[in-house]
Amino acid sequence: MSYKCSRCKRDVQLDEYGGVRCPYCGHRVLLKERSRDVKEVDVQ
Amino acid sequence: MSEEYDVEFVEREEREARFLVRGISPGFANGIRRAMVADVPTMAIDTVRFIENSSVMFDEQLALRLGLVPLTTPPEGEFGEDDTVTLSIDVEGPATAYSGDLVSEDDLVQPADENVPIIELKEDQRLEAEADAVLDRGKDHAKHQGGVAIGYRHLQRVEVVGDLPEFEEQESRIVRGVIEDDGELVPTSEFDHDLSNRYPGKEVEVEDVPNAFVFHVETDGSLDVEELVTRAADSIESRATELEEAVQL
Repeated sequence: MSYKCSRCKRDVQLDEYGGVRCPYCGHRVLLKERSRDVKEVDVQ
Repeated sequence: MSEEYDVEFVEREEREARFLVRGISPGFANGIRRAMVADVPTMAIDTVRFIENSSVMFDEQLALRLGLVPLTTPPEGEFGEDDTVTLSIDVEGPATAYSGDLVSEDDLVQPADENVPIIELKEDQRLEAEADAVLDRGKDHAKHQGGVAIGYRHLQRVEVVGDLPEFEEQESRIVRGVIEDDGELVPTSEFDHDLSNRYPGKEVEVEDVPNAFVFHVETDGSLDVEELVTRAADSIESRATELEEAVQL
């Protein structure tokens, strides 16, 4: 699962030991990026 | 079994028209109106595949907006109910994505208007999507309504019955629609909808002409008025035939 650090804007990979924290700058706010999949939506 | 109807145009443009039909019952007039709204199939976007949407709106909201863009409908028999036409859009901010940015694979199916805003994109925002348009009826979804703002009124006959008494002030008499004055058809907008402007100092009587209806038809651009009215009439005919065949075993 890939996240993006909201302070240094770098991609972050989280593992189960590190907790929620950017390994580069230590910032604790990470943003989840939209997946690259094509999403199909019905017009309702 | 077919009957001739007397049809006379009062105003006629590509997307808007006003015409008088004589010799039809109120029920039939309403049938035509309803058929124009709900039974004439038109093209509209039905599924959207989002490749990228970094705009401020959700995919579903944009899909609904794309669905409501009027698309030109191909001639009858050209497309079946299950055929699809793919349109694509790719706009990068800062810009506004308009319906004119939709690129269709088929020349017959194009956005009817080029200037319907879909979304405003800021710096680094992008919208890239593919959409499938299908043919369907207004009954199933309002996006498939070809006719918008359709209505009818009785034709009104105005007769001058005499002069007003000398010192009486004339009161305004508001009438809307189309009036018939000695066989001449006059839209009420010509005299500001006020009969006292057209007949100053006269006493007039207004009555509905039986079985004469003035239709006002406006389309969303997917079909022109003529096409919409004839297709609506055809749809009534085909349903009537279907009923006839079903009843006779």
